[in-house]
Amino acid sequence: MKKKKIFSLLMASALCLSVLAGCGSEPAGSSQSGSTQPSNTQSGGSQAEASGTTQGGGGKQYEGVELTMWSMWTSAEPQAQVIQEAAAAFEEQTGAKVNIEWKGRDINQVLSASLEAKDKFDIFEDDYQRIANVYAEYTYDLTDMAKAVDYDSFSYPCLNNQVIAWTGNLNSIVEQPQVGGVFYDKDAFEKAGVTAEPKTWKEFLDVCQKLKDSGVGPIAQDGAYCDFAFYHQLVRHLGEDKITELALNGGWSGTEAETAAQEIIDLINAGYFVDGAPDEFPSSENKIGFGMAAMIVCANYVTAEVNGNTGTEVNWGLFNYPAVENGAENTAAYAGANSLAITSYSENAQAAFDFIMLLTTGEFDQKMADTAKQIPADNRNTAPAILNGTVETLLAAEVPMTWCAGLHANDDLKTSFKSMCVELFEGKYASGADFCKALDALY
Amino acid sequence: MKKNKAMIFWFSLPSLLCLLIMFVYPVCRTVLMSFFKVESVTAGLSDWGFYGIGNYSKIFGSQTFRTAMGNMLLIWLVGGVITLVLAMLMAVVITSGIRGKKFFRAAIYMPNIISAVALATMWIQYIFNYDYGLLNEMVKVFGGDKIKWLGSDMKFWSMVAAFIFGSVGYYMLIYISGIEGIPLDFFEAATLDGAGKVKQFTHITLPLLKGVIKTSITFWSINATTFFLWTKMFSPIDTEEATIVPVVYLYDTVFGGKGIVTRDAGAGAAVGVVLTVIIIIVYVITQKLFKSGDLEY
Repeated sequence: MKKKKIFSLLMASALCLSVLAGCGSEPAGSSQSGSTQPSNTQSGGSQAEASGTTQGGGGKQYEGVELTMWSMWTSAEPQAQVIQEAAAAFEEQTGAKVNIEWKGRDINQVLSASLEAKDKFDIFEDDYQRIANVYAEYTYDLTDMAKAVDYDSFSYPCLNNQVIAWTGNLNSIVEQPQVGGVFYDKDAFEKAGVTAEPKTWKEFLDVCQKLKDSGVGPIAQDGAYCDFAFYHQLVRHLGEDKITELALNGGWSGTEAETAAQEIIDLINAGYFVDGAPDEFPSSENKIGFGMAAMIVCANYVTAEVNGNTGTEVNWGLFNYPAVENGAENTAAYAGANSLAITSYSENAQAAFDFIMLLTTGEFDQKMADTAKQIPADNRNTAPAILNGTVETLLAAEVPMTWCAGLHANDDLKTSFKSMCVELFEGKYASGADFCKALDALY
Repeated sequence: MKKNKAMIFWFSLPSLLCLLIMFVYPVCRTVLMSFFKVESVTAGLSDWGFYGIGNYSKIFGSQTFRTAMGNMLLIWLVGGVITLVLAMLMAVVITSGIRGKKFFRAAIYMPNIISAVALATMWIQYIFNYDYGLLNEMVKVFGGDKIKWLGSDMKFWSMVAAFIFGSVGYYMLIYISGIEGIPLDFFEAATLDGAGKVKQFTHITLPLLKGVIKTSITFWSINATTFFLWTKMFSPIDTEEATIVPVVYLYDTVFGGKGIVTRDAGAGAAVGVVLTVIIIIVYVITQKLFKSGDLEY
């Protein structure tokens, strides 16, 4: 009987231990405070390049250091391949091993909890807006390290300044910049006899007419991006601050929002949208690849999506959304990024920064741009052909337009706004005034 | 006997601990959290600020949440009636001795073994497609104009139709197992007494399936309240009013959506509590309506 009791106790203990082991998380290193200073504060990015040299004792610079990176990509994606190669090169050069965990796009679901629990990882990737506004407390201030390598000179100041405006310091390094505007098929433009990119709304309408006359649908529009497209029109007429104010408090009627909506309605009535628009994503954007449409208002990833979906190589071009007469904000362009940040409690922040620099500059950044068809994070590199003009557009942008931020300022009504934007592009409203009246009815 | 009791205790302890840690604790924490202002799900108690019924006022005052609840109610009621009636009909037909029973049973159940993501993609990109979709091709054959099945007016119902297609087989199997559990003698006796198939269905099959129907309604209620993936598939970039349901509202509230950086775990917890209460209410009502045990066989 005694044996039985001991056996049962052992079994119960084993079960408990296995359960607790499964539930437990690793302690956060030696629990250094968020204000831990980097072990080495000398010249950041150049260190990685020069770190093939050995340090004092004959070992490599970061011999014995292990970094853990949580990536927003999956291991099958082209970005993952480049990151792996960069990690191998970094280990070769500095002796530091970089362990990469592929978390995929849902990384944002686990980051908050993991950062709060001080899970043991040094680098993570996510949208730069979220890094700045949600995780800022748990991110390392990279301002000094960035200054040491003159980061501003080879990155995009508009994105860096935006991060600093949000958080007061630079807490992320851009890995995958994005830019928005009107992406178009250069061949369709040429066939329609369009020789110059339109700068004003009037010129834009002329281009639409020429494209229509040439037998191609001028504008593709998927329902999923209706709010993003209309937001451009609103920003031109009102500016982001005014949109935020209206989104929060109402009062759309009688403002320039009516003109903005009317201009979209006029586009519909003139037959400037391709048949089926607004279509279900990505049906309409694919029509550019099939030669049925010529332009789309979107961010740069649309080029790779269309080429990939349709198996074609569209001759892409990009121009900023046209300026409107007496517009409040006629130059802003959407810019955003997926960026890399270092945890505030990382014990190897300088090594992590050096790895980030290796990944986002020079050879590996160029490789990333070429294989993943994205804009290079290092402005000295060259964008792939399908993204011609994007580096220049990003460099020229002073203040980036955010992703529908004005409309999203009202958490509660943002889905209603989106649905109404879809209805606007479906031609459900007779006039801009009707649309604004319907918007005001939401309050 | 006393020692046996101790042994039972020690053996149940791990399961009990698991239940307490993984089920009771999160439930209690969620209920508690719904009365506090909390930004992050994992925020420590020191970061919680008492908010009374503020979170509940917030969600019930939210137009988006009300829309989401309305959509969920329609999925539960309309989708539920269509799914369960279709499933019952198919189960009765399949158990009636038709030829090819195994084939039909497998064919109707097939959508359940296909990934819901693949199924939704098939409906969105092929069946509902405006340019070359199956439905519009059929419309064209009959000389009609193409229909925007995924336009703002029709999107919700298109989504519900696709969801029903993916659900019928599951409930059909439940009903088939219920019907096959009814002794054949009842039907033979009824046939001898001159009862037709319809009468047999209404007077034998249906009453004896009360317990199964009750279970299906509870399962369907859980499916409707936890509806998430189909909404995400039918609004791929960002949440839309036509397809939003409470769980998606909860998700957006707790984690933020595209371009949204505000988070409110307290309000999210309140949504979770409301959904749980709804499921409990539906369960209690079905228990009252379908009292099992009054018929034995």
